[in-house]
Amino acid sequence: MKVLTIDASYNKEVNLNDELFNYLKQNNYKKIVLFASVQFVNHLDSVKTQFKTFDNNIKIITIKPSRTHKEGQLLGCDLYENNLNLNNEWNEIDCFLYIGDGLFHPKALLFAQKEKDKNEFKEILMFDPIANKLSSLKHEDNEKVMKRLKGNLMKLLASDTIGFIATIKPGQSFLYLEKKLKEKYPNKKIYVFLTDNITENILEPYTFIDVWVNSACPRLGFDDAEHMRVSMINIVDALRAEEVLTKLDF
Amino acid sequence: MNYDLELDKVSKYVKEKEAKLVCIQLPDGLKQYSKSIVDELEEKTNSKVIIWLGECFGACDIPLGLDQMKIDLLVQWGHNLFHKAEWSKLGDGLE
Repeated sequence: MKVLTIDASYNKEVNLNDELFNYLKQNNYKKIVLFASVQFVNHLDSVKTQFKTFDNNIKIITIKPSRTHKEGQLLGCDLYENNLNLNNEWNEIDCFLYIGDGLFHPKALLFAQKEKDKNEFKEILMFDPIANKLSSLKHEDNEKVMKRLKGNLMKLLASDTIGFIATIKPGQSFLYLEKKLKEKYPNKKIYVFLTDNITENILEPYTFIDVWVNSACPRLGFDDAEHMRVSMINIVDALRAEEVLTKLDF
Repeated sequence: MNYDLELDKVSKYVKEKEAKLVCIQLPDGLKQYSKSIVDELEEKTNSKVIIWLGECFGACDIPLGLDQMKIDLLVQWGHNLFHKAEWSKLGDGLE
């Protein structure tokens, strides 16, 4: 079977507005990492041109995160710092600017900064070209999700029984990571579960599981986990639970 | 409609690949356009077009088992090519 993907690109112009430019000026943001969802990524050249007209001293950086196909594109799953491929530039940049609608994609940039304190945190500006509106995500917007993550990690360390979840989706399928989990927690009993879609309802019958470790979509361990009655942690965080706990400043 | 569904491109691709049975997969925000997509593709090609009823969370989320249903082509809107992360790139500082 062949697969064809269609970007569904935004088919109108993207025009930055004074609200955005004034905000950058007020905050003295001069070095900006630019991202967009796939619907808006083809407009980033136009956005860069508008910045040159506004202030030629502003440096715009575009990078290609691990799983994306185009430079400047952001996926909701690129939510660990090294997924962003920013390398050593973190301390040099002033903020992120996301072009697009909705919160799903820019929240990846929020979660990528979970181990940054208030001083290290880079504000995430979001410009929605459809609504012509500017909004932002700040360090405190991570608080609820990270408090839950902190609680889940503590529960993991104290648990006796772990449910490890892998999915058969082509872009995921990390069944083999159960071995790493077993190496990390040799004294805990690990049951392995395989599915094609994860919802909280399918987990509820397994009441003998203390905590779930997820190797599928990493958003499950963050904003989805915040609302779950069961405890769920991403495999990446489960494997370095103690270190993550020491860095969570919430 | 703020987004380009590129139906001419899709029709051309369907004909080029001689796909007789096509499955379309749309994220929630575009599902409302499935009727017009099916109508137009069936009109412009000789193919039967069916709609994936389930989720479409991303390009990582290709439905499984379509080969068994003799689907020739899956068209997914709203995403582009997905590069599955290797383990070393999954998270911070892990090997």
